Amino acid sequence: MRRPRLPIVAAVALAPLVFSSTSLAQSSDWQVGAVLDAGHTTKNLELGARDKGLELGHSDLLIRGPLGKHFSAEASLAVHTADGRLEHHTESLWVQTRTLPAGLQARAGRFSSQIGYLNEQHPHADDFTERPLLYRGLLGGHWFDDGLRLNWTAPTPIFLRVGVEAFSGKQLVKEAQRQQSPGARTVSIKTGADLNERHSWQAGLSYLNNRREAPVPEHEEAEGEHDHAHGAAFTGKHLRMADLVYKWAPDGNMKNQQVRLIWEHARFSGIHPEAGSRRHQGSALSAIWRFHPAWEIGARTDRLSVNRPELHDEGAGPELEFAAAKLREHALMLAYKPNHMQTWRVQLSRQKAFGDAATEVFPQPAHTSLQFQLVIGFGAHGAHSF
Amino acid sequence: MRIASKVFQATLAVCLTTSAHAFSVFACEPEWAALTKALFPEAEVVSATTAQQDPHHIEARPSLIAQLRRADLAVCTGASLEAGWLPMLQARAGNAKVQNDQPGMFYAAEFVTLIDPHRGAITPFSGDVHPEGNPHMHADPRRVLQVARALADRLMQLNPKAAPTIAARHAEFHASFSQKIAQWERTALPLKGRAVVTQHASLGYLWQWLQLKPVADLEPKPGMPPTPGHLERLRTQLNQSPASAIIIAQHHDKRAAQWLAQQDIGKTLPLIILPATVTEISPEALAAWFDSIITTLTTQIK
Repeated sequence: MRRPRLPIVAAVALAPLVFSSTSLAQSSDWQVGAVLDAGHTTKNLELGARDKGLELGHSDLLIRGPLGKHFSAEASLAVHTADGRLEHHTESLWVQTRTLPAGLQARAGRFSSQIGYLNEQHPHADDFTERPLLYRGLLGGHWFDDGLRLNWTAPTPIFLRVGVEAFSGKQLVKEAQRQQSPGARTVSIKTGADLNERHSWQAGLSYLNNRREAPVPEHEEAEGEHDHAHGAAFTGKHLRMADLVYKWAPDGNMKNQQVRLIWEHARFSGIHPEAGSRRHQGSALSAIWRFHPAWEIGARTDRLSVNRPELHDEGAGPELEFAAAKLREHALMLAYKPNHMQTWRVQLSRQKAFGDAATEVFPQPAHTSLQFQLVIGFGAHGAHSF
Repeated sequence: MRIASKVFQATLAVCLTTSAHAFSVFACEPEWAALTKALFPEAEVVSATTAQQDPHHIEARPSLIAQLRRADLAVCTGASLEAGWLPMLQARAGNAKVQNDQPGMFYAAEFVTLIDPHRGAITPFSGDVHPEGNPHMHADPRRVLQVARALADRLMQLNPKAAPTIAARHAEFHASFSQKIAQWERTALPLKGRAVVTQHASLGYLWQWLQLKPVADLEPKPGMPPTPGHLERLRTQLNQSPASAIIIAQHHDKRAAQWLAQQDIGKTLPLIILPATVTEISPEALAAWFDSIITTLTTQIK
């Protein structure tokens, strides 16, 4: 947790002026832009990143463009409020090849891992005010880290991408009690196509090998612990994820009307050497309907079940126990998007906790939380993925 | 042994035919796919979008990444028209040929002068404005001729062996299209000076070329869908100074235009819905599209 720093605040405040007054971004392929995400929440969500009251969501300042003929680069700085303070971090700082042969691409630096569906997408483009529980519980909201990536896109009529990544893993498990280098490795495969003009789909499978073992907390410290978007709350050795996306638009003209269905599942196993078959797992299913060029409505159902290892000391030496709990969350949202630079969203979320250790692991599920969110883009902001 | 050698020969034949594949062109919009077909019919051409789709709002779908991955040349409009999706396709396709500043990446906007560049500040409330100017330049056939010349040069550069035939086809296209332009201009003479209500600048070049007068836009700001308040203002405006027609593109949401057309504004306004670009990909598609829109406009605007 850091104190607000003047330069960052100044940069965020000044960015819109700088980018709106010049057409710097258009003078070359370099793009400069900023996104402001401001919101108001009536009640904190368990594992949520938004504070009660007025808050700054995931806002960023981004610069992206080509580095000569063979490379492209990106840097971004993200800020948000957490527990009433302004936090900031470098979210991306990478160089990627553009001209490797045979469909190969390599990237080095800090960037979001391409596991799962949502992880590599910018949070400000999300359909809901918070990421699904599986991201908030198992990946610290969205997982970016320092590392390397190698991707291969196949020359096939059906899209096929295979990729491997190696990361330090420090953004996933902040402090490890045991670790190997590299701290995290991933392999993922993505495929997708159009069924016809109106229907498109994409499917992905990914695997993360986390080699940084998180320390097991004492029962007392575990209780009421809140990890705000940095580092994952629940980890393990092997994370397996599957995702499926289906989109429909009449005549393929998504500007006027579109339906998007997104399903994701994640399972962390090897959560502790003595955990046996206990694991953490979560899944989310969302449906969004754009029923008018400027309006969208969406619903999401979301669940997470965890087995948190804890050390209990009843006087006879520390003893390992697993606190089993489940969290369920439902969300309904309505969004107004008058153009691509603005999103006004209102969302209703409802949480419920279950299980033997529900009151310890998820002590304050929000029975009802109403959230208002405004996302405004300034300057150029790059293209988004499917 | 003989079977094995036959299988080997067959496999080899398949491999050779696949490796000697046709020149593959990825067009961002169907007008450029049609133009490519007119200049180089031997090319294998796909279009990322159709006349039913708003080219500003396309997703970087997996199918498009796969198509760009295999392209030898990408032919796009540029001027930020595809800013929301093409850069993502280029970043994901892993195809060195179609990166910016490579000969395999052709932007039509680099070869023509654009109308209405946006001057001044761009804020999140300006709408989807283009500082470079209106990118929908394919609706001016004279500019299509300029693009055709540049595209023919690029196709010849990338296909030196086919250069003489491409040059010949270009000469043929230029001659017949120029002749047609003169014809269209004659047919459209009665349209000159007529006031029309439009939506977005999708056909801005057409109005300029045929000297129609766009007096109102259904969109309150570029790219912003019509709002009730704005439509009400348009109704008042049209009551005072009537227009000859409401003209929108096929890919626009029709509800706002239909509402306005049903209002009693002096006389009933005809609602004309035009395809904003060619509806098929063939060497003749561009000429057929201009033929059809000019026929529609001249018969419906009385």
